Amino acid sequence: MIPVRCISCGKVVSAYFDEYQNRTAEGEDPKVVLDDLGVNRYCCRRMLISHVETW
Amino acid sequence: MEIDVKKKQENELVFIIRDSDLSFANAIRRICMMEVPKIAIEDVHMIKNESAMFDEVLAHRLGLVPLFSDSESAEALLIPSECDCEDQCPKCSVSLVLRKKGPGVVYTKDLSSEDSKIKPVHDTIPLLKLMEDQEVELEATARLGIGMDHAKWEPTTACAYKHYPHITIDEKCDQCQKCADACPRGVLEFDEKTNQIKVVDLENCSMCKSCVRVCDHKYITIGHKDSDFIFTIETDGSIPPEEVLIKACDVLSNKADKIITFCEGGS
Repeated sequence: MIPVRCISCGKVVSAYFDEYQNRTAEGEDPKVVLDDLGVNRYCCRRMLISHVETW
Repeated sequence: MEIDVKKKQENELVFIIRDSDLSFANAIRRICMMEVPKIAIEDVHMIKNESAMFDEVLAHRLGLVPLFSDSESAEALLIPSECDCEDQCPKCSVSLVLRKKGPGVVYTKDLSSEDSKIKPVHDTIPLLKLMEDQEVELEATARLGIGMDHAKWEPTTACAYKHYPHITIDEKCDQCQKCADACPRGVLEFDEKTNQIKVVDLENCSMCKSCVRVCDHKYITIGHKDSDFIFTIETDGSIPPEEVLIKACDVLSNKADKIITFCEGGS
């Protein structure tokens, strides 16, 4: 499970996780998706980019 | 002191404070983060949890979920230490119920609150996963608290200020344009009409001094104004940023009043 908030700044990144995963799975560029979702800081971006859903 | 609002969005407020000082700006920043009360889940009563996730992990995740509350219902709630009840009562707490059967992902939209005005800000936060025939049932109690006690009660995410930048370009500048090329944030630009380097986006300057380093004759200098600040308040959605600022000012003036009465010999 993705952490509820960004570990560094506390932004609620998990709320965007499903949309991020669906859109990148369809082949959209992760950069475009993150910009579109308003995830601007690099601390929050790494939360979504680096997360691996294991089960 | 002058305040100039630069950007105002649902969860973000950027403004400039002029003719103030560092200690004041820092006091406001620290109070915004640490002493403005908001509502968050504090106690979780697990009735049934058959999922793979441990009770305490789930309780921690629930605590971090931001709860939206309009100012009226938040002010109607008492801070638990000021309430006359022993443990919890409707005056100082709000309860939320989660009941779900697997298979599937449980989201914050499945949390139902007893008070329709106090509910999760986002409906899409995944809380836990349930397999076939697994079930979760719990009752959570939300209370008011401050960021000093736990990060879940911090209304702000990014809350920071920076000095207002001040760029001076010497008259002797030879217009080599190196500084404009070196700036990573597009603050400087070469104006072909006047044949001069122009500051086009001063507030975006991060004072990295890349331009100073490439200038061979040190014609450009980067400084800051001691009395001006660019302040950013970003919230998690539970309280609007303007309200965070107003409440922080209230807290600060209450603290100042306390010092005055103490110095005058009161208690």
